[in-house]
Amino acid sequence: MTGNSGNGGNSTGIRVASVDDIPEGEGIAISSDITGTEDDIAILRDDDGTCWALNDTCTHETASLAEGWVEDGDVECPLHSSRFNLKTGKVDGLPATRDTVPHRVEVRDGEVYLFPGERP
Amino acid sequence: MVVVGGGIAGVSTVAELRKGGYAGELVLVSADAVPYDRPPLSKAYLAGEKSLDAIALQHPDWYADQQVLLVGGTVAVAVRPEVGEVELADGRVLSADRIVLATGGRAVRPAFGEVRRDAPVHVLRDVADADRLRTQLVPGARLLIVGGGLIGAEVASTARGLGAEVVLVDPLDPPLAAAVGTEVARWLHGLHAEHGVEALTTTVETLLETRAGVAVQLKGEPDSREFDAVLVAVGLVPETGLAEAAGLETSRGILVDSGQVTSHPSVLAVGDCARLRDHRRAEHWEAAQRDGARAAATILQSEPLPATAPWWWSDRYGLHVEGVGEMRSADAEHRTVVRGVVGEPPFAAFTLRGERVVGAVTVDDPAATKAVRRLIDRGVDVRPADLADPAQNLRTLLRR
Repeated sequence: MTGNSGNGGNSTGIRVASVDDIPEGEGIAISSDITGTEDDIAILRDDDGTCWALNDTCTHETASLAEGWVEDGDVECPLHSSRFNLKTGKVDGLPATRDTVPHRVEVRDGEVYLFPGERP
Repeated sequence: MVVVGGGIAGVSTVAELRKGGYAGELVLVSADAVPYDRPPLSKAYLAGEKSLDAIALQHPDWYADQQVLLVGGTVAVAVRPEVGEVELADGRVLSADRIVLATGGRAVRPAFGEVRRDAPVHVLRDVADADRLRTQLVPGARLLIVGGGLIGAEVASTARGLGAEVVLVDPLDPPLAAAVGTEVARWLHGLHAEHGVEALTTTVETLLETRAGVAVQLKGEPDSREFDAVLVAVGLVPETGLAEAAGLETSRGILVDSGQVTSHPSVLAVGDCARLRDHRRAEHWEAAQRDGARAAATILQSEPLPATAPWWWSDRYGLHVEGVGEMRSADAEHRTVVRGVVGEPPFAAFTLRGERVVGAVTVDDPAATKAVRRLIDRGVDVRPADLADPAQNLRTLLRR
């Protein structure tokens, strides 16, 4: 699922957004052209303000998790409401059955840095 | 513990039991070798876009990982709660302290005259049904769909995508008004004609098998019409036979309490086969899943899931339709508010009672559904103008 080549192991990460660009409870998708991964990566901001990153494409069908509903440590897929844990990528609710891939994110000085392919 | 039935309700029951720490033996009896998800049977699976493996409810390894003994490819023929036994069609007898019935339902097959069992008159409930129907959905094939509800409409869309010629009949004009409100129902139904489906407000009087296929006499038409295949999609009847034979109380479903317990304290029932006393059966995917979770909570004596507004989805002609809560026609107590324009997706229609949303239907706007569900569940007062304004992020209404 993940292409861990490209920027994996990048020591400073890729600056992908200002944290204020992502409303709490929502997400944005970062193109694989930027992340160097096979799938786009969703930067997801929980309702407590923390930022997380998962592969963007739901493992059930093809919806973008960046368009999902982020709340209480999970993102809910926009189409069929499969839920994934923001931190681990594990399925917390059907119909998805395959876990997705989490990536490390850091917020420094209000900027979101993504480390594609690195575990959180 | 023996769970009888491998649909979403049965699989959710065993999954939630293990998630909640249930350590005892768990047996899942499934008519299918590996339980699969049914919504794709009228959509991606029927279209040939998804394989049976791709619609498995759980990966085949999951059952062993979760220490669930999957007894696939057979059905239960008797449950005997007083002695703690479930008897299978292959003669095996399983012992069970508690039994969960998740036997689902079967498609209604009205008597439309003399039709042989192997005539091309289909229903759509399981993979075998979908496989049989699919072989007939070839370019130019003439398909009659009886019933313009969610499944009939989904199959019409899939069949058009495969190049079949489709006639769809329903006695209601428009169908689904009770679920989505008249205005949205009319627009949704109108999509059929836009996509080359002949949608008629009528009923079938007779079906007659012919050498070429099926001759159908529609009410109000002078002559019968010839079709290569017919799909009857007019609802389901709950599968209550095992429960009745075991002496459980049934009435349009196996009657259960709010913890999914039947009239026998060691038997629970979940999903389409079950009916909460004094309520209608929901017949939707998530309702079945939540039944499983509630049954698990009862068995584990843990806190049940908080109540939430019912939710469903459907897809037709590339549009994603969702409903949440209860849509009502405008009357002294209820009003309808539209966000955007009906017929120009994304849009949504809401039913309000006073300051509260009680239901919504959305087209290509799932975020609105998710927001409305929480507005309903949390009892948030809203202003109609906020709901109606497409520029208003509905999520922010939850924060007031």
